[in-house]
Amino acid sequence: MQEQVIDTSDVLHDRHPPGDLAIWIFILAELSVFAVFFAAYAFTRMNNVELFNEFQQHLDRQSALLNTLTLITSSYFVVRAVAAIKENNHKLCVNWLLAAISMGFLFVVIKSAEYAHHFGEGINLSTNTFYMFYLSLTFFHFMHVIMGMVILGAVAIKAKNGGYSDIEHTGVETGASYWHMVDLVWLILFPLVYVMR
Amino acid sequence: MNNKVMGVRRCTWVYLVLMFFSFITYFVGRLELSGLTISLFVLLLALIKGQLVGAYFMGLGRLRGLWRWPVFIWLFIPGTLISIAFYLSA
Repeated sequence: MQEQVIDTSDVLHDRHPPGDLAIWIFILAELSVFAVFFAAYAFTRMNNVELFNEFQQHLDRQSALLNTLTLITSSYFVVRAVAAIKENNHKLCVNWLLAAISMGFLFVVIKSAEYAHHFGEGINLSTNTFYMFYLSLTFFHFMHVIMGMVILGAVAIKAKNGGYSDIEHTGVETGASYWHMVDLVWLILFPLVYVMR
Repeated sequence: MNNKVMGVRRCTWVYLVLMFFSFITYFVGRLELSGLTISLFVLLLALIKGQLVGAYFMGLGRLRGLWRWPVFIWLFIPGTLISIAFYLSA
């Protein structure tokens, strides 16, 4: 008798988020921390509007745009990686993941250049309230980008070794969800810190 | 056309919208536009982008029940607080 294989992943996704439930608890905790940071930035700005507006002008918006585009593009690549593994195409999945990691690496390079420029000018956490928020917020996010790259790297290695299939690809979705969270946070951080005045 | 191909195609459109909105945000900054209306407009674009990432890239938009909403709620709370803070400082 011919055995019929049914892809249950989409059915399961009707009520449960993609990936491991534990990563979603982690994502919600991380998002909550960033929400507090964003609110703290906005309410501190209330009493220091001129200071925030003045020093915001010193930031490199072009780098921030490039960073936004790299993160959005890497997120899209991760979407393609998940779609590839759902088609049982391991090689394509690995390629999309590597492309996403490369974009993450580009983000790290651009952001590091920005930090080098600021530190070269003698700017640090105690320069003023604006830079305290700018450096701590962006560096906290920067660390999440690095962690996301490590996670995607681990997923890519397992995918290369045939550890995922069209039936079982929870790990790929787990890594993807974390990476999208990193992108999501930057989408708010970019206008808030670099543009809104 | 199967659902997976449709899903990827939809995400490609979302990707293009996200890029477009990012360029608008950048040009608002580059032109040094300021004020409450501009700030809220830029914030609104960011919230829409966030919701698109949550619904399509994260795949929460196709869920039923509670898990459909965490990203929306996350965007709503800081979005509201940021709006209030900018309103009060305008």
